[in-house]
Amino acid sequence: METKIDQTLDCKGLSCPMPMLKLAKAAKGLSSGQVIEMLGTDPGSKSDVPKWCDKTGNVLLSKEDMDGGVFRFVIQKK
Amino acid sequence: MAETNKEPGILSQLFRIFFSKHWPVWVGGIVLGALNVFLFAIKSPWGASGGFNVWGENVYKMVGMFGLDGTKPLSLSFYGMLCIFLVLGSFIAALLSKEFAFRIPPKGELIKGFIGGGLMALGATFGLGCSIGSFFSGLPALSGGAIIFTLGLFFGTIVALKYLLWEMEKFPSFSSGKSYTFLAASAKKGGWQRYLGWIVLIITFIVAYRYSGDNKIMAWFIIIGMLMGLISQRSRFCIVKGFRDPFMTGESDGSVGVMAGLLMGIFGFTIIKYFGIGIGDVGVRAREMTWVFPHFFLRAGIGGFVFGVGMTVAGGCAVGTLWRVGEGQVKLWASALGFLLISPISKLYIVKPLVEIIPQNLRFKSFLPDYIGYPGAFTLMIFIILIWYVFVKWNEKTGKFSAY
Repeated sequence: METKIDQTLDCKGLSCPMPMLKLAKAAKGLSSGQVIEMLGTDPGSKSDVPKWCDKTGNVLLSKEDMDGGVFRFVIQKK
Repeated sequence: MAETNKEPGILSQLFRIFFSKHWPVWVGGIVLGALNVFLFAIKSPWGASGGFNVWGENVYKMVGMFGLDGTKPLSLSFYGMLCIFLVLGSFIAALLSKEFAFRIPPKGELIKGFIGGGLMALGATFGLGCSIGSFFSGLPALSGGAIIFTLGLFFGTIVALKYLLWEMEKFPSFSSGKSYTFLAASAKKGGWQRYLGWIVLIITFIVAYRYSGDNKIMAWFIIIGMLMGLISQRSRFCIVKGFRDPFMTGESDGSVGVMAGLLMGIFGFTIIKYFGIGIGDVGVRAREMTWVFPHFFLRAGIGGFVFGVGMTVAGGCAVGTLWRVGEGQVKLWASALGFLLISPISKLYIVKPLVEIIPQNLRFKSFLPDYIGYPGAFTLMIFIILIWYVFVKWNEKTGKFSAY
């Protein structure tokens, strides 16, 4: 089943901490149940995003490596 | 690599432990702390800003600027080579785990990288030391100045984080726009990264071996530098993260990793100094005063603050910059460039006249055991880390000081 994406956050090319700052800020603007998709290329995000989801209670719906070194995270706001 | 049902062999399981997932930061911290103790046992502790400075001086020497003809060649500078092999170690780790790629950020980020690097150079040359020399090695060295430098780093980090948040609110375009990624691997593609990783690893050992005849210390600096880069990349050990994240997302893992490394260092350094291990022909007092710089307290305070601002704007301290250079993050290339180009200029033309204004009693070497004995100094350092630990854990739960 394809999840409906409410917002896409492009963090490609950005280094730590910009992806996490942008994600945290964007998540603040979402309402409960909405889904955000984040694209990034910083390998740090691979551990930072799941940890952040754990801590904040937001749900990491999926995490995948795409072509061209891009990671894609789909997160549902708590 | 084809999917098979066969269980991977013992060696390939070992390989996966190192290069499949990221390590917990605290594991990286402990190993880096231990390597730092090894460096001290061999010669002197870990430092990074000195390496950048040697790089910069060699660049200016090459183009014939600032009369730096007398500069030691890079190949004979312990810390210059340590930094080079730290970059290569991270490069090796990124290749073996197929995480290497040239990641070119939007223009605004490149500018921030360069400015952050330049600020780190100013802070390091004025404050005598960086996030490593006057913090990660400085606290274990039982230096009073390092405590002040650390406080400076804290305040600098907080101010710069405020700036980043403000910039993101008011000028989001600065950190967005066109970006490029080249040479990235994926699960199926990019097997060349593994091969190249092994080749660079072997080259490192060959270089170390070639030094081992008449420069044994350098041989070990090369190997330890490479390991430091490799471990930093795998554990994403980052001192900026340790300072910043409690005030950003409230995350404490990065801080705990740094604390783990500090603890290791405090034990090792205290033992080396207390027993005068590895004195050679320098004498006990000189060994004790290793990495205790004449910066207590004004130079350390101001330098630490400026360095803290710089490392947070750049997104990597001296070492965080080096290992991210090795993994292909071009923002940190800009930061490394800013660091190495500004450092010699700052040392020659900015720091000298400024320091002369500061009275001697505001920039002296403060070795804590001189005042409170070894037991007192050792206890004080452990106590500082304990307070920091309680703060980040409490803050993680309550979010009192976190921006989000």
